[in-house]
Amino acid sequence: MIRGLLKGAIGPADNDSRFLLDVHRRDLPGQDTMARYRDSDEVDLCIVGAGAGGSVLAQRLARWGWRIVIIEAGPFWHPDEDWVSDEAGSHQLYWTQERVIGGEDPIEMGKNNSGRGVGGSMVHYAGYCPRFHPSDFETQTRDGVGVDWPISYRDLKSHYELVERELPVAGQDWPWGDPHSYPFSPHPISGPAQTLWKGAIELGIEMRVGPVGIVNGTFGNRPHCIYRGFCLQGCKVNAKASPYVTHLPDAIAHGVEVRADSMAVRVEIDQSSGRASGVTYVRESDGVPRQQRARMVALAGYSIETPRLLLNSTSPRFPAGLGNGEDQVGRYVMVQGAAQTAGRYPDELRMYKGPPPEVSSEQFYETDESRGFARGFSIQTVSPQPIGWAEHVLADGHWGRALREYMRDYNHWATIGVLNELLPRAENRVTLADDTDPYGMPVARFDYTHGANDKANMEYSTKVITDILKASGAQDILTIHRYAHLVGGARMGASPENSVVDADHRVWEVPNLYISDGSVCPTQGSANPALTIMALASRLAQRLAAAGSNTPK
Amino acid sequence: MIGRYPDYDVMDNAGNWDDATRRVVQARLEPLEPLRFFSADEEPSLRALCDVTTAQDVEPRVPVAEMVDDKLASGRLDGYRYANMPRDPDTWRLVLRGLDETASERHQAGSFAACDTQAREAIVSAFSKGELSGGAWDELDVSRAWSVCMRAVLAAFYSHPWAFNEIGYGGPAYPQGYMRLGPLSTLEPHERRGATAEDPVRVEQEGQS
Repeated sequence: MIRGLLKGAIGPADNDSRFLLDVHRRDLPGQDTMARYRDSDEVDLCIVGAGAGGSVLAQRLARWGWRIVIIEAGPFWHPDEDWVSDEAGSHQLYWTQERVIGGEDPIEMGKNNSGRGVGGSMVHYAGYCPRFHPSDFETQTRDGVGVDWPISYRDLKSHYELVERELPVAGQDWPWGDPHSYPFSPHPISGPAQTLWKGAIELGIEMRVGPVGIVNGTFGNRPHCIYRGFCLQGCKVNAKASPYVTHLPDAIAHGVEVRADSMAVRVEIDQSSGRASGVTYVRESDGVPRQQRARMVALAGYSIETPRLLLNSTSPRFPAGLGNGEDQVGRYVMVQGAAQTAGRYPDELRMYKGPPPEVSSEQFYETDESRGFARGFSIQTVSPQPIGWAEHVLADGHWGRALREYMRDYNHWATIGVLNELLPRAENRVTLADDTDPYGMPVARFDYTHGANDKANMEYSTKVITDILKASGAQDILTIHRYAHLVGGARMGASPENSVVDADHRVWEVPNLYISDGSVCPTQGSANPALTIMALASRLAQRLAAAGSNTPK
Repeated sequence: MIGRYPDYDVMDNAGNWDDATRRVVQARLEPLEPLRFFSADEEPSLRALCDVTTAQDVEPRVPVAEMVDDKLASGRLDGYRYANMPRDPDTWRLVLRGLDETASERHQAGSFAACDTQAREAIVSAFSKGELSGGAWDELDVSRAWSVCMRAVLAAFYSHPWAFNEIGYGGPAYPQGYMRLGPLSTLEPHERRGATAEDPVRVEQEGQS
């Protein structure tokens, strides 16, 4: 009750990022004055990757006095100059270094699911921030599929609440999973989302506004969203949450060095003790390998680059790479089915206005045996910009004259999508390819193939969103089948035979090596993973800080 | 088919954009540079493919060929390669060779570019369905090659301000923002309502234009 009345008024303690940002500039404050460590300094923690997992971990532990360096492959952004309100002009936000994709259902990478640069993929995620459901942590016990996590929803709940206040997340009271409310009120919604929602109501499907990590009101020095619609191209407003604005300002203010344009190529192991001694990385400017010494190492490079780095870190003691003694590294990588269906309406709707994420439903999230498959899916409104929309039209089989005809009708269409929980499979795996990158490091190969349950789930959910469009009065409908998000690849588990890290994210074989990104997730639910990756990192930081023997100095 | 938003020019609002965005979009209207990636031998078929897939047959054209060439020449690739496919730049060269081979085989033409519109469209239709084989095509997964090429073609065409105008797209909106989100047909001062509202599905099915 009190929380409801104070909506938007209570900020998080112990994170001043929102006040450190400049009202008039978009730069991450403190770049010029941030701590700089020498390679030979043995820092307390070297983190690889300045995205959702790495940034939260750094921010938390920096406040406990840890000396931390984050090695980041991509650039240190200056958004006023580097980011534009333009699809094609945003190419540099994505991880576009070569990767090989295989399997029966190869997954497109790049702008679809991979970020590069300080802030990571959250710089260009849409902004949906749902929690996982309690059921996600025990799908094997409940549904006989996937695997149980070694931790439960209860272990993450307080971290979900904390991160939701830090982003902050805006949305209506949430009736699904563990019912909860959000710190910020729901955003107003646009014509296309209202139109789609009407269709859902006709069919008795419950939807709610949000949850999105987008400021509604003001939040410290972060302004209100201006509804310009370019969430996927990097928020030039500072309204949309990403570690760039939510955790890195505070981290840098507490002594973290973010070393950008530096590609980590190996985790070094002291061959006598078997402990990690540091990270070898290469600066883009000179290509010279350097080694940052560290007392502890945490990898946060996400589901492709973290396994790649583990597999590439071979040594006499670990000939198959780190954490890979049981052949588990790179396995169980998951993506979510993300088909989108668009409907055509007599009125102009102009879906490019407003944030792409607006209204969503988790009514179909859990198993319903009558549907004929295990687990489920969520439904979310989306709104592609012109190039994204052209890909929809192409997927429906149109090119040339027909394509131009469909395209000039852009303003009459609205789009709704699903996220299917596709199940983890051991053979869906990241390995090292024969090709190498400019530093001589083998590039990642990602093989992916659906199972029968996955296909049944995707087929069913596509029918549900098609029915929503029909009920909303759509005259015509077109569908694109696609995939989104990544998790898994170094999953946590109860024993080393079927996992890479333990419940505290520690690599089974290397006592001072941790993984703090989405690759530790054993299952994925049908929730967008960003919030959960941050919550996991927040929990890991709490565990590390609390472990007395690990307290630095 | 042109003329749905007859009085609309997205660039009229460019004064309200931030400098970085304006520079990026305006650069697409600058005079063209010669091709750097594709050879003089490849150029005619490249241009023909870009024309057919975007239904451009008269000047002024959105310079799709130049934009694709620039992307490949500067190595701005998309971040993945199918295991059964060459890298994107090699895929493009093979596709252009394959189009010429098919043109000669099926239409007795010297090259794809030498075909008339009908023959070009027949070849591209077969390409879009993955129904080409022999010669260069056997070194490719043809359906995936279609998606590699079209990804680049569409990203080029629909990043151009003339295409924004054709589809009535409001364009960049920072720092101005969009204030009029709905419920229906609520326009910003710089947006224009469409002069017609024909349903393209009907237009296509009934063969009107």
